[in-house]
Amino acid sequence: MVPFFFIQIVMLVLAWKLDAKQMGFFTLPEWLKGFSEILCDSVEKVQGKLEYLRSILNDPVQFKSIYRYAFDFARDKDQRSMDIDTAKAMLTLLLGRQWVLYSCFHQFLEQSKYRVINKDQWCNILEFSRTILPDLSNYDVDGAWPVILDEFVDWLKTRQQLHIEVAQM
Amino acid sequence: MSLKSGIGKKDTKMRIRAFPVTMDERYVNSIWELLKNAIQEIQKKNNGGLSFEELYRNAYTMVLHKHGEMLYKGLRHVVTDHLVIKVRTSVIMSLNNNFLQTLNQAWNDHQTSMVMIRDILMYMDRVYVQQNNVDNVYNLGLMIFRDQVLHHGQIKDHLQQTLLDMVMCERKGEVVDRGAVKNACQMLMVLGIDSRTVYEEDFERPFLHQSAEFFRLESQKFLGENSASVYIKKVEARINEEAERAAHYLDKSTVNPIIGVVEKELICKHMKTIVEMENSGVIHMLKNHKTEDLACMYKLLKRVDGGLEAMSQCVSSYLREQGKALVTESEDVDTKNPINYVQNLLDLKDRFDHFLHESFGDDMKFKQVISSDFEYFLNLNLKSPEYLSLFIDDKLKKGVKGLTEQEVELVLDKTMVLFRFLQEKDVFERYYKQHLAKRLLLNKSVSDDSEKNMISKLKTECGCQFTSKLEGMFKDMTVSNTTMEEFKNHIQAMGSNLSGVDLYVRVLTTGFWPTQASSPKCTIPTTPRQAFEIFKRFYLAKHSGRQLTLQPQLGSADLNATFFGSKKEDGATSTLNKTSSGPRKHIIQVSTYQMCILMLFNQRDKLSYEEIQTETDIGEKDLIRMLQSLALGKLTQRILVKEPKCKEIEPTHIFSVNDQFTSKLHRVKIQAVVAKGESDPERKETRCKVDEDRKHEIEAAIVRIMKARKRMQHNVLVTEVTQQLKSRFLPSPVIIKKRIEGLIEREYLARTPEDRKVYTYVA
Repeated sequence: MVPFFFIQIVMLVLAWKLDAKQMGFFTLPEWLKGFSEILCDSVEKVQGKLEYLRSILNDPVQFKSIYRYAFDFARDKDQRSMDIDTAKAMLTLLLGRQWVLYSCFHQFLEQSKYRVINKDQWCNILEFSRTILPDLSNYDVDGAWPVILDEFVDWLKTRQQLHIEVAQM
Repeated sequence: MSLKSGIGKKDTKMRIRAFPVTMDERYVNSIWELLKNAIQEIQKKNNGGLSFEELYRNAYTMVLHKHGEMLYKGLRHVVTDHLVIKVRTSVIMSLNNNFLQTLNQAWNDHQTSMVMIRDILMYMDRVYVQQNNVDNVYNLGLMIFRDQVLHHGQIKDHLQQTLLDMVMCERKGEVVDRGAVKNACQMLMVLGIDSRTVYEEDFERPFLHQSAEFFRLESQKFLGENSASVYIKKVEARINEEAERAAHYLDKSTVNPIIGVVEKELICKHMKTIVEMENSGVIHMLKNHKTEDLACMYKLLKRVDGGLEAMSQCVSSYLREQGKALVTESEDVDTKNPINYVQNLLDLKDRFDHFLHESFGDDMKFKQVISSDFEYFLNLNLKSPEYLSLFIDDKLKKGVKGLTEQEVELVLDKTMVLFRFLQEKDVFERYYKQHLAKRLLLNKSVSDDSEKNMISKLKTECGCQFTSKLEGMFKDMTVSNTTMEEFKNHIQAMGSNLSGVDLYVRVLTTGFWPTQASSPKCTIPTTPRQAFEIFKRFYLAKHSGRQLTLQPQLGSADLNATFFGSKKEDGATSTLNKTSSGPRKHIIQVSTYQMCILMLFNQRDKLSYEEIQTETDIGEKDLIRMLQSLALGKLTQRILVKEPKCKEIEPTHIFSVNDQFTSKLHRVKIQAVVAKGESDPERKETRCKVDEDRKHEIEAAIVRIMKARKRMQHNVLVTEVTQQLKSRFLPSPVIIKKRIEGLIEREYLARTPEDRKVYTYVA
């Protein structure tokens, strides 16, 4: 059996691959239909397709493209920004496995007052996850990171400090 | 060498002897003996019987016949012998008895004789000395004196000790032979022969060293007096004394070094101690207005590196403490009264300006320090902009007591100085508009000229953007006057009289005047309302496309009131009832709200608070204020009475007309209960509006800059924006960043793909 998240991300990649320019063209039923059509085929073909799709995800350049596409794909079409719950779900899907700090970031979002994520923040989250080390040692205050990420760093540093203090007790 | 005859041919009495080409040794020796004797006679001060010409000629002869060396060496011997055998001995003998005088005498004698010796041997100086690169006669004499006499062990040390002792004595207050010291110092200078090394080594260096020790001890003594002003005066006296001493009888070149020593020992090492001395240092002086003492200290500390800095730091910390105390909200200090608040600050500034001018000589550094201190504490209290505006408001209103026009002008100029220190000038602008509007509408300005004068001052500081709207306010007032003229003509033509209402309308252009969130409600009584409707029709007929909204919170009304005498109270014993017979008429000046309230009593005798509220539809806060001023003020202001007679107003309380109302004036103005300054919730609201405006201003600045430059790095952009806005307020980098993000979202800006720290302008 294929793990659930992988099914979801595969759908995203499919949408991206097949329809990068026309967002929202695929409705959910159509997707499921399309996917089940693939499933209907032989199991080997599915496996093969999944391998191929997996390889796409491992390529940083293509991944970035998918990630960016995901924003427009997942947001509510009359809004410019994505609501926070959708953002959390999408980020879990996309970054949950590969970004060490993701669980912290998720918790940060939970306790923050942010109700939406805009595109600039979205894109910078990926950049952040790729350039800043888990111990935040190379985080630059002048780095023109969106304020949400500055706040995340402050929040994380405070927590780390508390943990050190607790550990030393 | 060829024979030359310099004598005229006509003078035949001269016989020119043929010059012998060689000279035999005996002849040379005899010449030398002659000269030697002469020199010795000179040294014995017996030069009276000598012939200059003869001696010169003999010396000349020797040199001419190439015996210069013999002459030179001989000279050296004679001089050395004399100095060693005669002079040095006598000086040594005088070590404990008239030493300095003896030495000085020996020196003077030596100089005199060397001059004479030099003169006779001048030819040797010019020819032999030059050709053989040896020291000339006079210098040779100096060197021998220096080496054989002066630097002879005992003499050298004793001289040094003597001179130092004499200086020390004089420092202690004794009288010493200054001439002798001067002579000795000059001798040392001369003996350096084109340098001052002898003087320096033999005297100056040990002198400076000893002086340093002396002053070190003296400084402890002075400090023991525990008074900064006394210390300073003593140091100053010491400096003068040492300078005078050096100038007079040491060598003049010692003046600066010795002053340097004094400064180092007495000032440099104890700067902080003096400045911070308790009960007499800088702070004490500032507290007690000791302008002169401060001036002395300033002058003194200016001499040394870091002196003024120590002093200015102390001044600064004291000033900051004083200023902070004035602006910090606390029970003791009156920070609730804006007029006093600002006046206190102005007084503080005056005090320190006085110090700056009288004590610190308008020193630039001190000026800067004082300015930055004021900027620091003025902005600690966020209400400063509001209070400053209220202060100016107070001075521009009618009835400013006790100040002439020039005095008011002066105060306003000083207030502008404080204004410059404000960091949140945009907040000030908002309040100034509000207060100006009130002054104009309630007709409280002293004069249009003084208002315009103030505005031009602000324009100079802030630019036209600030003042253009204010000028619009003035224009509205003028136009309203014209409109009213036309309206009066219009009614006359109509033959109406507005049911006896004398109506005056001022039309305000929305953009110029401080905005209200929404116009408060108020039910206007019939008669005035109808009059207004007539005006409204008239106005809109002239200016179609406009909208008029009545602003009841800003208007005022004059009411004709009749009070129907007092009812005799039970137990009243007064028989002076003149005023109680018959109805009394007054004209009462009230606000629009109060008019609405009062006119209700034409229909009913008694009304509860609730009923009044329902009928007039006035908001609770305003209603309470109005009723307080009508019913709970002074007796001469009490148009209404309330049951029960307490200070609080509850919905069930009953109001009625105070028929016992009396006043000496026919025309009675009801003072509104107005708080100076805003209440805290109002302040919050203003602050919100300010923040909103700032968002727009920041975004406008960002767009302006990016449009011009097209591409910019994040940090550079933040700096530019801050720079552009700093005359209005100080935006924090975080807030600017948020605005940038907002603009990215709305697609005015974008990050460049290559470098996310660089933004581009999106056309």
